[in-house]
Amino acid sequence: MSEPLLVLDNVTKNYGAIEALKGISFSIGKGEVVALLGDNGAGKSTLVKIIAGGLEPTSGRMLFEGKEFLAKSPAEAKAAGIETVYQDLSLCTNVDVVANFFMGREITRKFLGVPVLDEPAMEDVVKKALASAGTRIPSLRTNVEHLSGGQRQAIELNRFVHFGGKLVLLDEPFAALGVEQTRRGLDMIRQVASQGIGVVIITHIMQQAFQVADRIVVIRQGVVAGDVARNKTSPDAVISMITGETLAGAGPAG
Amino acid sequence: MNPRTRHALEFVLDNLVWFMLVFVLVIFSIFIPNYFQLGIFANIIEASSVLGVMSIGLALVIITGHMDLSVESVAALGAMAVGILFCSAGIGLGVQLHPEWLMVPVSLLLAVVVGGIIGVINGYLVVKVKMSAFIITLASYIWVRGLVLVISGGRSAQDLAPAIRWFGIQRLFGLPLTAWIAISCFVVFSLIMAKTPFGRHLIMIGGNETATFRAGIRVNRNLVIAFVLAGAIAGLAGWLLAIRTSGATANLGVGLLFNAFAAVVIGGVSLKGGVGTLPGVYAGVLLLSAINTAINLMGLPANFTQVIHGLLVLAAVLLDAFKQTIRQRLA
Repeated sequence: MSEPLLVLDNVTKNYGAIEALKGISFSIGKGEVVALLGDNGAGKSTLVKIIAGGLEPTSGRMLFEGKEFLAKSPAEAKAAGIETVYQDLSLCTNVDVVANFFMGREITRKFLGVPVLDEPAMEDVVKKALASAGTRIPSLRTNVEHLSGGQRQAIELNRFVHFGGKLVLLDEPFAALGVEQTRRGLDMIRQVASQGIGVVIITHIMQQAFQVADRIVVIRQGVVAGDVARNKTSPDAVISMITGETLAGAGPAG
Repeated sequence: MNPRTRHALEFVLDNLVWFMLVFVLVIFSIFIPNYFQLGIFANIIEASSVLGVMSIGLALVIITGHMDLSVESVAALGAMAVGILFCSAGIGLGVQLHPEWLMVPVSLLLAVVVGGIIGVINGYLVVKVKMSAFIITLASYIWVRGLVLVISGGRSAQDLAPAIRWFGIQRLFGLPLTAWIAISCFVVFSLIMAKTPFGRHLIMIGGNETATFRAGIRVNRNLVIAFVLAGAIAGLAGWLLAIRTSGATANLGVGLLFNAFAAVVIGGVSLKGGVGTLPGVYAGVLLLSAINTAINLMGLPANFTQVIHGLLVLAAVLLDAFKQTIRQRLA
């Protein structure tokens, strides 16, 4: 593993008396793809929200690029270079594809000192980004409400590929995708990681995790139940880590 | 269905209110004697200035997915503030400034700032206390009107300073300057909504607030700005109202809220947020004004106006639902 990009040190999160995360510690290197696995309610999504600035941890600390890091809002996380693709789609269906692609970072030009949306420039970028990813959307000016689930997810995936950043968090990004699109999505992840960007992907599908990840981290009941290199484990071993039968095959933590 | 018919149909749906306006104007021109005159049309635009300006603010907040019921009372407060300072009769203090024209920017600024302050209060409560905007602005609707009664003691101010009233008298291309102010407001805010990142963000917040928050848009800041704008614009509407009535009474503008609401809904703004354009709202305002003028010309008792407005709102909401089913078929 190369130099760590993000280090989580004993991060906890309580909702009242319920301990959603009991102390999570692991790290992600630059250019590394980490698959985060775990049963429903294990705390994966909570963890992603904490890193992405949507939730504040109850205790614990995080180091991002060696510096103490705590995002109080998604805007701060984004400014630090953390991109997130959420499980439930984060698109505004009442506006078109281009507007969604550039949500929050529109290209503008000054007109009499007032920032004005530069629609042709944005449309151009989106056209190129979608074409290079092989995604076909009939018109970039249709409102997203008229698009299929797969097309919507493609917009989100292409968005993170285009804007990159330093760390990408993907919370079940392929839930609505077909076989071919999923394969392309996995390729996108490898391509992004090869640029030195760290990737955390949450998934339920073992096969995907083994296809794309360098390392597999299993969370069970709010703690890290296993942290192993992909080539040193097997799907069966990971499943038993998830269900908690045995810790067979679980490598040393860190 | 081929793409061209679909395109045409979508165009009609998007601009339905303009078609309705033209349809109504044609029907009235044919069936009501004396309706088809330039003066009548100028009058329709003139009579809709105050309502139009107020509707802009209301529409901004509704497009963002919230509600501002206080615009009517805020306009009354703005008008009363201007009335008390710059009227010379009644409870007016008759403040004089030299040179005289200085009273124009000062009174305008006063009304806008008063409105803006109420907007700040509304926005702060909605964003920080996280209460429903409907309840908070309903409270403002009541207490701001109460404030108008308190500062006026229930009495009125008359004889607004001529330098300010000049805006209601001076005409340009047949329309008083107050009407031009309303028109320029529509142009400016339509451009802001359609062409700037700020406007785009407001529309997206109305569509999916969570998504915009996650995308790093400062949702709370934008919401407060929307409420402040609605308040400030309502203050401007109050300034226009004071000019129009050459003063202010304690019950000035009562009922305007419902007309503004009707105009916004008829104009195609969805109460769910995220849908609607300001040119549409202007068409809604003109439509209401055209119908009022028709009622006047036909010599119907003015009491009918309210019944017709109510039915129009009902029709607009039904139409909105109908439009959505058609759109779903199209998709």
